[in-house]
Amino acid sequence: MKNLLAGAAIALMGLTGTAYADGHANYPERPVMLMVSYGAGGATDFQARIVTMTAGNEDALGMPIAIINKPGAGGRVGWNWMATQAESDGYTLGAYNVPHFIAQSIKGGVEYSADSFEPIANWGADPAVFVVAADSEMNSMTDVVDFAKANPGKLTFSGAGLFVGHHIAALQLEKAAGVKMAYIPSNKGGAGAMKSVIAGEVMGGVNNLSDAFRAAAAGNVKILGVFDLERNDFLPDVPTLKEQGFDIDNASVNFRGVMVPKGTPQGIIDKLAATVPAMFENGRVAGKMKAGGSPMYIMTRDEVLEMWAAREETLKELLAGL
Amino acid sequence: MPDLPRNQHIIASGIVAGVGISVCYLSYTQQPSEAFTFPRLISTVFAVLAIWTFGKALLGKTKVGNGLSMEAMSRITPGLLVMLVYIFWAAKALGFYTSSTIAFFILLSLYDPAQHSEIKSWIRRALITAGFLAIMYGLFAMLLNVYTPREFFN
Amino acid sequence: MEFLLYFSDVFTPVNFGLLLIGTIGGLILGATPGLSPTMAVALLIPFTFKLEAAQGLILLGAAYTSTVAGGAVSAILLKIPGAPANIATTLDGHTMAQKGEGAKALQLSFVSSAIGGVFGVMLLIFLTPVLAKWALAFGPSHLFWLAILGVTIIGSLDSSSVIKGLLSGCIGLWLATIGFDDIMGAQRFIFHPAVSGGINVIPALIGLFAIPQVITMFAKGPNDTTAEVIAVKKQPVMDSIREVIKRRRALGIGTAIGSVIGLIPGVGGQIAGLVAYDQSKKFSPEREKFGTGHSEGVIAAEAANNAMVGPSLVPLLTLSIPGSPTAAVLLGGLLIHGIFPGSDLFDNHPDVAWTFINSMLIGQILMCIFGLYVAGLAASVARVPHSVMAAIVLGLALFGSYSVQNSMGDVYVMASLGIGMYFLERFGFSAAPLVLGLILGPIAEANFVQGSMIANATSGLGPYFLTGTLNLTLIAVVLASIAYSVWMELRQIRYTTKDDAVHKEEAL
Repeated sequence: MKNLLAGAAIALMGLTGTAYADGHANYPERPVMLMVSYGAGGATDFQARIVTMTAGNEDALGMPIAIINKPGAGGRVGWNWMATQAESDGYTLGAYNVPHFIAQSIKGGVEYSADSFEPIANWGADPAVFVVAADSEMNSMTDVVDFAKANPGKLTFSGAGLFVGHHIAALQLEKAAGVKMAYIPSNKGGAGAMKSVIAGEVMGGVNNLSDAFRAAAAGNVKILGVFDLERNDFLPDVPTLKEQGFDIDNASVNFRGVMVPKGTPQGIIDKLAATVPAMFENGRVAGKMKAGGSPMYIMTRDEVLEMWAAREETLKELLAGL
Repeated sequence: MPDLPRNQHIIASGIVAGVGISVCYLSYTQQPSEAFTFPRLISTVFAVLAIWTFGKALLGKTKVGNGLSMEAMSRITPGLLVMLVYIFWAAKALGFYTSSTIAFFILLSLYDPAQHSEIKSWIRRALITAGFLAIMYGLFAMLLNVYTPREFFN
Repeated sequence: MEFLLYFSDVFTPVNFGLLLIGTIGGLILGATPGLSPTMAVALLIPFTFKLEAAQGLILLGAAYTSTVAGGAVSAILLKIPGAPANIATTLDGHTMAQKGEGAKALQLSFVSSAIGGVFGVMLLIFLTPVLAKWALAFGPSHLFWLAILGVTIIGSLDSSSVIKGLLSGCIGLWLATIGFDDIMGAQRFIFHPAVSGGINVIPALIGLFAIPQVITMFAKGPNDTTAEVIAVKKQPVMDSIREVIKRRRALGIGTAIGSVIGLIPGVGGQIAGLVAYDQSKKFSPEREKFGTGHSEGVIAAEAANNAMVGPSLVPLLTLSIPGSPTAAVLLGGLLIHGIFPGSDLFDNHPDVAWTFINSMLIGQILMCIFGLYVAGLAASVARVPHSVMAAIVLGLALFGSYSVQNSMGDVYVMASLGIGMYFLERFGFSAAPLVLGLILGPIAEANFVQGSMIANATSGLGPYFLTGTLNLTLIAVVLASIAYSVWMELRQIRYTTKDDAVHKEEAL
């Protein structure tokens, strides 16, 4: 009760104070919440927990960030909530996954678009890779495409869902190679898609580099190609799709970062945009991310705004034919 | 009143049948149809079973369920009203801890067998309320860092 | 036998202290409605940042083990299952508590949890490589049939009328389709913003079980004195252990089913308890006693729940594939320390792997000891007057359902379902089949959709779903289960008069 009364007293002072606290100099005054639209334990959730672990430090926000998971339908549930129901008071942050939410908004059936959110900063970039089971006869992307050419529509390959990064990569591959394949979306995210590759339920799969790196280290899968512009530091021996003769860019690379709902006060956005990238650069964060096999890629708010706009254009073009 | 449960059964199974039929209608009319394959299957079985149950209730062949007595209803109503106001309005509008304190105390007073004229019983109820709220605050706010809607005073 | 080498690591002061904290904390969190094992483990992750890898995992492993068992406490005493895994425990456990046997029910549940749990961890220690192959054998078609098998038990679960049981199940299956379609992403039946994210199982579970309890307490009115009359019978611990050993059929069925189902990625512990309950009912000569406070029901359900813990980690530890949401969170706990599950874990970090597994073994026993102590509290819970209990349960329901996703929508869904369920229960519908439908719906649908996509690209629907040893075995079990239910129903019609049915309903 004492706490409640003390809280009430502080709150009353706060009420009178809001008028002149326009500069949001004191933000944040209480713990901040970060909504992750994938389940606890998924790659996005795992990375979000690491990059926010130093939020309570004095040089960062000075207040802890609590992760709230709102999983479902490839992220649509969480982002819909973020766009329509989340309070834009600066205490509700969200994790974004590009190209996922942009592709979904282009495809329609959701209540958000890139305009519903304000980016703060980007923490990671996880390219999609093509994997096959360790005992598969396919050893390069050419083998995969040759099989698909000989058996149109019969090559089954898994991915984390429809209109997420993996699906974009799959569409790009079909378009670049001019083949028809059977994309099998999983309802259990990247982990479910990976399981179906290892168990031999499907012949191959598109998956996150970080998860595939681990599965390859355990000897369960072979990684045949990276859907990015350059080879990745984690996998220096695996060629990109472009090197293997397919005209595929980095449109499917899964960028992860922090955003707030539209309508959040500009003062708070500016403050977050200044502190959050520095928070990601913390040495402990980088160490844990590297240990977990998660590639980091820090971008500021302006860079992210640019990246969102560029992605939106590419994706509109790619998805136009569907 | 031997017919009261029977009429109640007709009403209850009628409502369920109504829901079943509307769900069935919706699943066959909504688009895109490939996303509604599974709902169609379920809602068809749902509607058939619900109509069957409704038929049985009409014929008075319902075997199980005791229905509601007027007596029980009159005892439930005040508590139910408090619950509705508490969950659907007060929790969000007044904040979890404020509304819980009020709702808890009202419920305790409504359903406590002790005499309401004694001052001692009021103190006891206030103490129980304070104790419960202290535990909830400790568990959810301090230990688990659950971020509840803003309190009324805030 | 490698695991024996690392036993001493569990007993260093720091590690053992963490094991104790994890166990006791897990019991408390598990007994709180709304805090499922997954959430409890996720909440503990930040604490492990500061610990060494093995220490962090000891904390998480102990918490996982004891939250699963802790869910039985609220299931038995309040009829609120702490997690989906504990639904089956409410069926007989709460009835026992109403008869004044709450202490006995709790003791039985902890003893059988520990036996099942130790067996499950033993499987993890000795048979991991074999089990890993098994876990992978279940593809979409098999998971689909498994879900259908679950559907067939809906009718016979906790309901005097098979039709109303099935109808309750259908309501649950339909509720599960609300929200975004998991694969296509299409919106279905979103009639209110509160359900735009679909109906989350945990808030639904709290509402469907807790709210009817609250209203039932209201219905007893202020002048009811029965609360004071129920004297909780004292139960010596040895008697409970003897009882569990006497009921070895239920214990065996529970442990076996829990181990097998726990192994299958994606189905997990949610239905292990219910399937075990149903099977031990079918095999028991005293099957008519199930649902009226019969000890076999509690033993089978709880043995299954904890037997599932060990095998559920097999796909994670060997193949680095998290088979359940909780395993996914544990994966995070490993990755943070730079340890990759799979061969890397056992080859390069055997101290971490085996200390973790050993701590789960010791954790099961510690959990049992503390649990038996908690069982003594049953008496004090039964002495709480209705007015206080109703208010406490309502408050817990609000906080519990909100904290799952910090969402008011979940709270509204919880209360609406709960109030609806109270009235439906008055007319012979029941909550357990409804929840089972809610859990099985997405499993059946997603695996059917995925399976048919694969089938259409390869061998065609018929061969994909209807051939292969595992498919055929599962189909045979499904058919047997249906035949059994039909046979029982036909036999029942001859015996059950209206009065019998009403009588049984009242006993519940």
